[in-house]
Amino acid sequence: MHIPDGLLNPILLVVLWIVSIITIIVGFYRISNSSFFTEEDSEKLIPYIGVIAAVIFAFQFVNYPVPGGTSGHLVGGTLVAVILGPWASVIVLFLVLIIQSFFGDGGFTALGANTFNMGIIGGIIGLFIVKGIVYLLKNTNLKKDIKITIATAIGSYLALILAATICGLEISVGGIVPIEFAVPAMLYWHLLIGIGEAVISALIVYYIYKTKPVLIITEEFMGVG
Amino acid sequence: MASIKEYRIPLITIVVVLGVLLVMIAVGFTIGILSEDPDGLERVLIDANGEEWLESLPVYLQPILGWLTNDYVIAIIGVSLTVVIIIGTFYAIGYVKKSKYPEKQVI
Repeated sequence: MHIPDGLLNPILLVVLWIVSIITIIVGFYRISNSSFFTEEDSEKLIPYIGVIAAVIFAFQFVNYPVPGGTSGHLVGGTLVAVILGPWASVIVLFLVLIIQSFFGDGGFTALGANTFNMGIIGGIIGLFIVKGIVYLLKNTNLKKDIKITIATAIGSYLALILAATICGLEISVGGIVPIEFAVPAMLYWHLLIGIGEAVISALIVYYIYKTKPVLIITEEFMGVG
Repeated sequence: MASIKEYRIPLITIVVVLGVLLVMIAVGFTIGILSEDPDGLERVLIDANGEEWLESLPVYLQPILGWLTNDYVIAIIGVSLTVVIIIGTFYAIGYVKKSKYPEKQVI
C-alpha cells in the first residue's frame, strides 16, 4: 500500500503531510508528558522497540502470495499500536516508511500520505478498533492474552480494509483512477490481503505475550490491565 | 554505562530476524511462501492504467539508496538503519523526559 511519487493530487499531498506531521509532533509531546515507560530500568526496553521496528521492516519487505495474481505484505500499524500505544506507533511507522522510501518503496513526497494511511489509520484508528473488540470480549472467560490476540487479529484486518478504502479515495481525488473503480478494487484486494495482516499481527502479539509481556504497554488503555 | 550483556536478547533477536529474512529471500520464492506479484495498490493501478503507465510516473526525489538492487544488501542495510534510527529516536524521547522529570528514571 506504499503510494509512489506522482500519483496523488498535490493539494492532497500537502494536506496529508500536514496532518501526519502534526500527529507526529503531538505524539512526541504526548509520549514526553505521559507515563510511557516510567518504570524503573524501563530504558532497557528501547532495544526491544528496535527489534519490533526491525520485524516490521522485514515483514513489509517480503510479499506473500494472494490468490488472483497479487501479493500482500504486513503493514503493521495496528500491531505496533497494540504493543507501544497509538503515538509511538505513528512515530515508528513514519521512521520505517522514511527508510523504505530511501530504497524507492513508496515515494518520498508521498510519505505524508503513507504515514496517514498506515500509521494514523492503521495505527491509531486500528488501536481503537482493537479496544472496542476487547470491550466486546470483556464478559467472556478468555484470558487477557487471548482476548488481545483475537482483538488484534480482527482490529488489524478491519484497520487495513479501512486504510485501503481511504487509499482508494486518495488516488481517485486527482482523477487518475476513477473512484468507482479505485475504491471497490482496493477494497476487494485488501479483503484478501488483510487475512495475512491479521494472522501475522495476532501471532506476533501472542508471541510477545509469551516471551516479553511487559512490552505490551496498552493493557490499561484497553481495559485489561 | 550499560553492559552489552543486558542487551544480549534484543541483539540476538535482531540478528535472528535478519537471518530469517535473508533465508526467506533465498528460498521463499522457490517454496512459494513469497511472491513477486504486484501488491494490492500496484494491482489496482495496473488494472486501471497499465504497467507502463505505472512505471512512467514521475519521481520527484530520487531515492537515495535506490541504486541498490541486491535484495540481501537492501535487507541488511534496511534492518540496520531501522534499528539504529528507531533506537536513537526513543533514546532522544527518553532524554527529553529525563530533562523534564529529573527525579524519575524515565525514558
